[in-house]
Amino acid sequence: MKPKILWYFGRETGYGLWRNGWMTLASVSTVAISLFVLAFFIVLSVNLNHVAGVLESEVEVRVFIHQHVPRTSEIRLMNEAKHWPDIRHITFFTKTQAARQLQSEFPDQKDLLQLIDQSNPLFDGYDVYTRQATQIPQVANHFRSKKIVESVVYEGLVAKRIDRVTEVVRAVGWGIEALLALATLSIISNTIRLAVFARRREIGVMKLVGATDWFIRWPFVMEGMVLGLVGAVAADVLVNYGYRWAIGAAVSAMPFWPVAPLSMVLDHTIWVTIATGLVIGALGSLVAVRRFLRV
Amino acid sequence: MIRLEHVDKRYGNGHMALSGVDLVIRRGEFVFIVGPSGSGKSSLIRLLYREELPTTGDVYIDQFHLTRMRRSQVPRLRRQLGVVFQDVKLLPQRSVAQNVAFAMEVVGASSRDIAKRVPAVLELVGLARRRESFPHQLSGGEQQRLGIARALVNNPVYLIADEPTGNLDPDTAGEIMRLFLEINRRGATVIMATHARDLVNQVQRRVVAIEQGRIVRDELKGAYGHEA
Repeated sequence: MKPKILWYFGRETGYGLWRNGWMTLASVSTVAISLFVLAFFIVLSVNLNHVAGVLESEVEVRVFIHQHVPRTSEIRLMNEAKHWPDIRHITFFTKTQAARQLQSEFPDQKDLLQLIDQSNPLFDGYDVYTRQATQIPQVANHFRSKKIVESVVYEGLVAKRIDRVTEVVRAVGWGIEALLALATLSIISNTIRLAVFARRREIGVMKLVGATDWFIRWPFVMEGMVLGLVGAVAADVLVNYGYRWAIGAAVSAMPFWPVAPLSMVLDHTIWVTIATGLVIGALGSLVAVRRFLRV
Repeated sequence: MIRLEHVDKRYGNGHMALSGVDLVIRRGEFVFIVGPSGSGKSSLIRLLYREELPTTGDVYIDQFHLTRMRRSQVPRLRRQLGVVFQDVKLLPQRSVAQNVAFAMEVVGASSRDIAKRVPAVLELVGLARRRESFPHQLSGGEQQRLGIARALVNNPVYLIADEPTGNLDPDTAGEIMRLFLEINRRGATVIMATHARDLVNQVQRRVVAIEQGRIVRDELKGAYGHEA
């Protein structure tokens, strides 16, 4: 594109936004609010994922080993398992350690403790942590296939439920995002339509002296994209300050609740809101200009 | 060359504006389209710059087949034409010079060409000294001349004018007519729909008379009409 043409488009875009000052302000605010709601949902979704991630990391598989297996075989299997791709962390415990843990967890169960003291019926074993909850069943099966393994215990249902909730939240999220995108599209489209309507004479003259459709469209498309971009930036500023405040409030109210850090939230919201703003701004303008080009 | 073959134009409300029109206009000609109000003159003019399409029949301008061409080709056709509208269609927020330059900007002319061509055209139509004025500060005749300047600025092969002297006093109308004759002398083909009986009779050019949508007379060196 020639610099002269680019200059022309830039100038026309600026004129358009300036001439319709109040309308520009109104639509930027509306876009900002819609994109803020969009961002709010993203924040929610990021936080749910974060919580799911934290919970998943706490889900463990407990592997018990047959009695009388030599210690070297136990250590060999642990070292082998460390290299399995699904395993994040694995620790070995002896049956003596298991007995001590039981004693500390249930200090009031006198009969039980007596039994353990007389002859320890517990097993040596591993505490295993997977990278994701979904990997737990296959890791469990993998251990079961080993000869020295007596049994494997894990919270399979909890893992599945967390994943299911995350999936539902994501699906609902996409639905809400789509609806919001439609609403924003119609707001931008209406703003640009007013701008186009105010300049329909010019557009008519442009068409009649031989301007191409794209030459006429570009300044309006750029106008829409500027509206979308400014709205998105405003929404991100709101998210930035709003989320800082929310983290502060959440940490003091529920200190144990895992809150996603601001940088993690902004990583998601900035790109989604800016991309959505630009795409919707451009689309809205195209829809608005279409009717006026039929000269 | 402009060629209309068996052209009918019927509007959505059923009004038959043109019927069975055949017409050939060669390059370099000066043609008046005359006839009473509602006879179909403006419809004919609008077919030429493809604001309207015929209901049946074909319109050709040089290599362009207007009834068959793609929408994307229309700008190329219109860059061959300069159109002076009955209502002038000036842009009120732009100065005289900007109104003319606008027509060059939108077809992608360079700044250098615009800076050279705009003053020359304003000189030709006698508006050089009004270049910074705005349309509402101009008289009717000056506005019409500005419309002509805009139509001329891209060096059109065909200059098409719809009632360009419609609202002007006889002296101003005479001036505008002389301007069109000068433009024609410089090589442009001029097609003008008009009511101005005296002017048509004075200049003795080709006259195509339309009544009720049909061509009733086509004379070289013609007059406005015998009937009136």
